[in-house]
Amino acid sequence: MMSKVFRPWRAPAFQLLATALAIAAFALVTMILLRAELEGRFAVQTAEALGGDIILSGSREPEAAQFSNLSKTASKHSQLIDFSTVLVQGETILLVSARAVDANYPLYGNINIANSRFASALPVKSGPKPGEVWVDNQVLDRLDIKVGDSINVGRKALHVKAVIRQLPDQNAGFYSMNPRIVLTRADLDATDVLGPGARIHHHLMLAADTGLVKSVSQTPGIDALKLRPDQSLETTDNAAIRSMGPLRQLTLWANLAVLLISLLCGAAIYLATAQRVRQGARLAGLLRTFGASRYQVIVRLLGSEFVAVLPAALLGSAAGIATVIGLKNLLGWSGPLEAHLGDWLALAFSPLVLWAAFALPRLSALVRVPAIEVLRQGHRQAAVSVQAELLAVLAGPIVLASLLTRSLVDLGQLILLLIILGAVLPAVLWPLLKGLDLLSTRLPLALRLAVRRLARRPYLTLPLMASLTLAMAILALAGHTGNALLENWRTTLPEKAPNHFVMNLYQQDLPVYQQWLADNQALPQTPYPVVRGRLTEINNIPVREAVSKENRGGNRQLNRDLVLTEASELPASNLVVAGLWHASDDQLRGNTVSVEQKLAERMKLKLGDKLQFVTSRGKLEPTITSIREVDWNSFSPNFYFMFNQGSLETQDTTWLSSFWLPEGDGRRLAELIQQLPQVTLLDVSVLLAKTQDLVSQASRAAELIALLLMFAALLVLSSALLDGQAQRGRDNALLRTMGARYGLLSRIAWLEFLILGGSAALGATLITFAALYPIGTQLLIGSSKISAWLLLPTALAVLVASGGVWLSRKALRTPPLALLRNEQY
Amino acid sequence: MTDTPLLEARKLGKQVSGPEGELTLLEDINFTLLPGQSLAITGPSGSGKSTLLGLLAGLDSPTSGEVLINGRTFSDLSEDQRAQQRGELCSFVFQDFHLVNDLNALENVMLPLELKGVVERKEIALHWLEQVGLNERIKHFPTTLSGGEQQRVALARAFAVQPGLLFADEPTGSLDHANGSRVIELLFELNKNISTTAQTTTHATSHPVSNTSHGAALILVTHDATLAERCDYHLRLQAGRIYQVSTDGQQSEVTA
Repeated sequence: MMSKVFRPWRAPAFQLLATALAIAAFALVTMILLRAELEGRFAVQTAEALGGDIILSGSREPEAAQFSNLSKTASKHSQLIDFSTVLVQGETILLVSARAVDANYPLYGNINIANSRFASALPVKSGPKPGEVWVDNQVLDRLDIKVGDSINVGRKALHVKAVIRQLPDQNAGFYSMNPRIVLTRADLDATDVLGPGARIHHHLMLAADTGLVKSVSQTPGIDALKLRPDQSLETTDNAAIRSMGPLRQLTLWANLAVLLISLLCGAAIYLATAQRVRQGARLAGLLRTFGASRYQVIVRLLGSEFVAVLPAALLGSAAGIATVIGLKNLLGWSGPLEAHLGDWLALAFSPLVLWAAFALPRLSALVRVPAIEVLRQGHRQAAVSVQAELLAVLAGPIVLASLLTRSLVDLGQLILLLIILGAVLPAVLWPLLKGLDLLSTRLPLALRLAVRRLARRPYLTLPLMASLTLAMAILALAGHTGNALLENWRTTLPEKAPNHFVMNLYQQDLPVYQQWLADNQALPQTPYPVVRGRLTEINNIPVREAVSKENRGGNRQLNRDLVLTEASELPASNLVVAGLWHASDDQLRGNTVSVEQKLAERMKLKLGDKLQFVTSRGKLEPTITSIREVDWNSFSPNFYFMFNQGSLETQDTTWLSSFWLPEGDGRRLAELIQQLPQVTLLDVSVLLAKTQDLVSQASRAAELIALLLMFAALLVLSSALLDGQAQRGRDNALLRTMGARYGLLSRIAWLEFLILGGSAALGATLITFAALYPIGTQLLIGSSKISAWLLLPTALAVLVASGGVWLSRKALRTPPLALLRNEQY
Repeated sequence: MTDTPLLEARKLGKQVSGPEGELTLLEDINFTLLPGQSLAITGPSGSGKSTLLGLLAGLDSPTSGEVLINGRTFSDLSEDQRAQQRGELCSFVFQDFHLVNDLNALENVMLPLELKGVVERKEIALHWLEQVGLNERIKHFPTTLSGGEQQRVALARAFAVQPGLLFADEPTGSLDHANGSRVIELLFELNKNISTTAQTTTHATSHPVSNTSHGAALILVTHDATLAERCDYHLRLQAGRIYQVSTDGQQSEVTA
């Protein structure tokens, strides 16, 4: 039995086919598992950042139906309440952001706390116990208390048990300007701080599986919850962090890679099968001569072929699984493989789907081989159903892509593009080849033979050239965008990005602050003067009338004091997208303001609009002179409203600054707090480290995917190039009998593969340039810059040519004597 | 005819390594061939006919003895030098035609002339295609020609360079009787007429052609005894040794 399975493996053509399938299986399995790993890790990161997979927030508790609807399928849930309150210690009053948590908090990740002001952080899995309160450093400093003391929160005295270093869902704390405290919900009623009219944010956080998250994230799921106007729903699927550039781009890129690899492997399998069919036609004819029915031919040839390819698919899949497990260990990703049942099914079927799409239609031609084939001399091509083959080859990648990515909608545009390219590329390449063929009569012999070898084998050349073109184009695009992404990260997250923010600095504090920075070798960023104000009018119309209710609902900026600043220089993380940044003489014409783009869109603000802000010193009435795009991930202070220099001179300003300080030196920070006790110091180093870790892991994964892509592309394309070796060997031997020197044969081979690779590189470069604008600017990156990656197709063309010549070395050395012996080359 | 041998085999032998040790394919082969003479080599399958043809044409190297062309050792040359010699002197007709599928009939005939650098290659090729009766099919590619037509193109290609030596390996082996007969008639007729052709075409060429007015020396490997009888000499290979066959069918071993 086993010998029957492996009998076809003795044929070189089958070895080629099996190798292509094994590579396909390896690449597909590796990609599927890697994607599952990435998605799993990002889902966890996102859930940690949000505090759960699903977050329902509102100004009061969720409705019973909502709670029941969501919690019944969730594995775990937690409810917490964020509110502001005042702590009083002696004569000191301190406004704090408080969070009351239940026993399930946090659903994901750890809370980092310390036992004293300067102690190291310890991770814990749950919040404070009843009777306890955890506080920020600032609370200790400002109220002059220490861990172990008691403080009153409202009417309830609570024991200060720990210092908060980091909450897993840091987002909430990040936006808060006040020091934080965490207590239990069990103590909340006793504090009596939440009287009628108190402004609270109630969060229901749920840990749920992907299915529930997906159903809740889509419109019917959201509608079923019947959200109140004050409520908002965030899930790991639609959370802002998910749509953040890096994660979305990486997912899209992985999908692109999966599709490309499947196409490349398909092309190789197609070419290898063509060779296999040529060799099998004689046997099929012989079987028919012996009276075999079509069914018997199917069982004998197709059945044995199918059984024989299984070990190749299994081998490739096993290698892929082993590689991903190895990579996980290498990258320090703990835990079992993240793949779900769907992924495993895709793993099991995708190599076979690929084989069925690219090999089966051609193989099935063997069933139609007539008995007379056995009497014919020479090799004849078995009749292939062109329609069936075309349908399978077109449908294969689409089915495969949807099977692999499970996200046909996301890939819709991409598949459409591939289908168009699949139709357009041959339509463009074929006339080009024919044109070259016609021109070739006037070309020198070597060039003419090289052109003819390509032009006279369109069944081989067109799929190969189209595959190469697509592979090079997507590789260049992926490389370019991946590179741009990394550059973007490097720019926005430099090594010494600010890890501390200082707020509530007064003008008179600045010399002390600057001296402290100098003494401690801290790297400061530009400080900004800050004024608190409320937007009251737009073009002399009260803001509540000027902005529609539905737009107002989403604008927290309208319901609270805004942080206004002034600057003469545009911050590095900002980009003016409309109007002009403040000019030095703006002050002469009155106040001007630059508005953040998304806020301007929501509030329908445009250039020339006149705004009115009310501050503690009166009114500010600036005119909008520019709209800015702001990179909120830059870890630099960013503002919705930036006035021209001098506009806020008469206001009560404090200063906001940020700086970088090496980790682990809490005493130096304590000195700053002691010298300037009123300042609020935000330590974002943990969040920053987490983000940098994410960026680092993502970029390493991207590099691995790129390497895998290159590996798959080169191996598969090399396999495909082997298809025409017999013809080349025969032609070379013939030329040798006529007196051709080895140099001529070598020149023909180089020219052939340079034309092949060069044409593909030219096409790929054109596609890359054409696609760079729509894909680059809309899907992947914010701007398209020329990069060295655009030279990748040219480099790959040289690689393809070298590989082609190397693979042709046997054909180049075919002895002329072989012609006399009628050998198979 | 001159007395200088065009082709000479001296103690020619070929051994190959096999799983059971050294295997002798050919042993102590000796003969000479003058310009314009024809030689048929026959023998059962596996007797070494193609091996001998390969050695004589410089497609392979002997393990003993030597091949001389125009009195100069041919078999000791490097592969590139032998290729150059072949281009200058030899032509081939194969059983399986071996046309370049990427070139049409005219280009196939022009190919060896192009390799030799003959400027008027197109005119010469057209002339020989006309000689084989294919002047109407010059733009056809091999895959659109019948077996007989392909072999006629191969004949035109072989004669277009006006070779001194023409090697034909079972030239009718892949053809039906009618086509085979036509090809053979053409082969001998063209070879007989080649001197006339040479005189009519060489004046227009810028490159010297190899042939003299004797026509090509023809070495023909065949199974066909009737065909072999049409040649000036008939050698029969048996178990790696060579025997001369006389007109009455008697064979005697050829010795140096």
